Amino acid sequence: MKRKKYIPITRKINAIIIISLIIGIGTIISYYYLSLFMNINDSTRQNLLQQSDILYTAIENYMIPGEAPLAANFFNDINKINPEYTIKLFRSNGVKAFRDNNTISFVNNSIGVNKFLEREVIEDNEKPIDNYFSKAIEVPPRNSVFRTVDRMENTFGAKGKIFFRIYRPLINLPRCTVCHGGEHTIRGVIDIRNDITKSVNDQYIILFISIATFVLMVSILAAILSQYLKGTVIQPVKSIGDICTGVTQGVFDKKVSIKNRDEIGALGNTVNTMVEGLHERFKLSKFVSSSTIESLKTEEKGHKVPVTIFFSDIRGFTSFTELNKPETVVESLNKVLNFQSGIIQENKGDIDKYVGDEIVAIFTQENSELSACISALKIQKELKEKSGSEYNNLKVGIGINYGEVILGMIGSEKRADYTIIGDNVNTASRLCNLAKSGQIIISESTYEKVKDQVKTKGPYKVKVKGKEDYLHVYLLTGIYGG
Amino acid sequence: MKQVIMMMLLLNTLLSCSGQKPGEMLPEDYTNWEKLTATELNYPIPGHGTNLRIPYINDTGRNVNISVVNNKKTHEYPPGTIIIKEIYDSNEISPGDKPVMLTAMIKDPGNSKARGEWVWIIKNTATGEETINTDGFCITCHDDANENHPYGAGNPDSEFRDCVFFPYKK
Ligand code: HEC
Repeated sequence: MKRKKYIPITRKINAIIIISLIIGIGTIISYYYLSLFMNINDSTRQNLLQQSDILYTAIENYMIPGEAPLAANFFNDINKINPEYTIKLFRSNGVKAFRDNNTISFVNNSIGVNKFLEREVIEDNEKPIDNYFSKAIEVPPRNSVFRTVDRMENTFGAKGKIFFRIYRPLINLPRCTVCHGGEHTIRGVIDIRNDITKSVNDQYIILFISIATFVLMVSILAAILSQYLKGTVIQPVKSIGDICTGVTQGVFDKKVSIKNRDEIGALGNTVNTMVEGLHERFKLSKFVSSSTIESLKTEEKGHKVPVTIFFSDIRGFTSFTELNKPETVVESLNKVLNFQSGIIQENKGDIDKYVGDEIVAIFTQENSELSACISALKIQKELKEKSGSEYNNLKVGIGINYGEVILGMIGSEKRADYTIIGDNVNTASRLCNLAKSGQIIISESTYEKVKDQVKTKGPYKVKVKGKEDYLHVYLLTGIYGG
Repeated sequence: MKQVIMMMLLLNTLLSCSGQKPGEMLPEDYTNWEKLTATELNYPIPGHGTNLRIPYINDTGRNVNISVVNNKKTHEYPPGTIIIKEIYDSNEISPGDKPVMLTAMIKDPGNSKARGEWVWIIKNTATGEETINTDGFCITCHDDANENHPYGAGNPDSEFRDCVFFPYKK
């Protein structure tokens, strides 16, 4: 499974807040804006539509009695009164009406009398032909969104201004055909438009204000909410996290201090209790070998492994106990055991147990023999230098053996140790017994492994308890290059 | 309210984009009906082009009620009246020629799409598509049938002809 990217909870929460605010407030604001927009648009539209109805009737009434020139003047006057508002009339071929004598001569021809006088031809080549115009003159008409009630509506921009325009086709009614002929259906198109730049701009301002308010509100609310969440959730969770991180690094003395009386406060208390428990167990672990702890993780039963076994024993300790006060005995003993344990652990050795004044340790890692030897040499060096001053003249003898042992959980169900047993353990113990104060005795198997790196004396042939044959042992005296 | 309008506008757009379905308002066998008029309609008129047109009326329509209301002769076609006008693309037709378009009016006073109590229909004979005209296009012109007009025998007495230019005569 692919691991998900780490995203801090603060960011997630902020994202959720902002998204929900945007959706929520955004919906409301766009709703209001849209309805406002529709309102303004609709009233402009209704207005123009009404006007187009009136104009349509007016034109019809001018035309029927033959007063077309009046209609032309009427349009011009309206354009003069209000420049934002224009009315134009186009013939269905897109040519502006009232600018030449085409219609006049056609009509005069139709009725057989020169009723209408020729006029001055005006240069006006304005052409409206666009998609909307051609839709407006379509026969038969096609219903569409824009063409609802015999007209086409659209909004368009020109010369930096915005116009709302209605194209209203004038139908060549049967009564018109008397003068205009029956060849065409659409006589012309009234183009009536209003400059709606201002109202559109107003809408943009409203839109801008809406958006600005929206952004402001979202930011403020998001800030408040995330601040609040920071105080109530994120900060406490972080401090709990810090405490936990501390625990993994062995810091037990810090406590979660959360005053909130809520789930997180409760969690803090639980964590505190847990850390206390862990601390106690941690303290206890000093008294348990790390292989024991390791075995607890694996729940292993027992197996054979090659290890280096290390025994160290204080020389003349029995008489020392007899000569000194118990407090002094315990204190000195602890001191000696303590510094030895330190050195052993520094060299990756594992204290298996303390038996009275004796330390049993095992080295399992690679080059474990050399590590054991180095530990032994360091211990002896320390005692050689400081035994008198620091350790009440106590000295130790050390025995080291390399070989296979059985590692396993040994003891009863109530109390068990993960420890080593076997002949090689006994041998190491015997070598330790042989060693005089300040001496380190290593077995032949150990020697074979480290002979190139350490200085020794020997071999010596010795007889130890429980062994038929002689053993070859060596005195470890130093290390090359160290 | 505005929102409803907006929704309807949207719906309208969608519907007009999807196009009208071929309707079944106009029966196929209308050619068995009686012809509306004996006049040969092959001169140009606005609204229906310059080519041959042949209008038919169904049996219901033949029961048109003609009476005098307020001193005015009034024609009243019963609901269910269908007048179908064939429109050809030339003035001379030979047997087997098909009209390019049908324009029709169905008397259906209760219909919301009716204008002047008539539902105005344009049928594209090639596709079978029937379109109802709901804007003022058809009715504006046909309203002129109720006053003096220059077609056929005209309407010199300005009878109310129920928007029909060539009234059915029993
Ligand atoms: C510009 C005027 C005009 C318009 C617009 C118009 N018509 Fe007509 N219509 C006429 C005239 C005139 C007649 C008379 C018959 C003929 O000469 O074809 C007529 C005849 C008819 C007839 C036969 C019945 C009668 O009145 O004699 C039908 C049906 C008809 N039109 C349907 C329609 C439909 C449907 C529309 C809209 C799509 C429409 N018309 C639009 C002018 C118009």
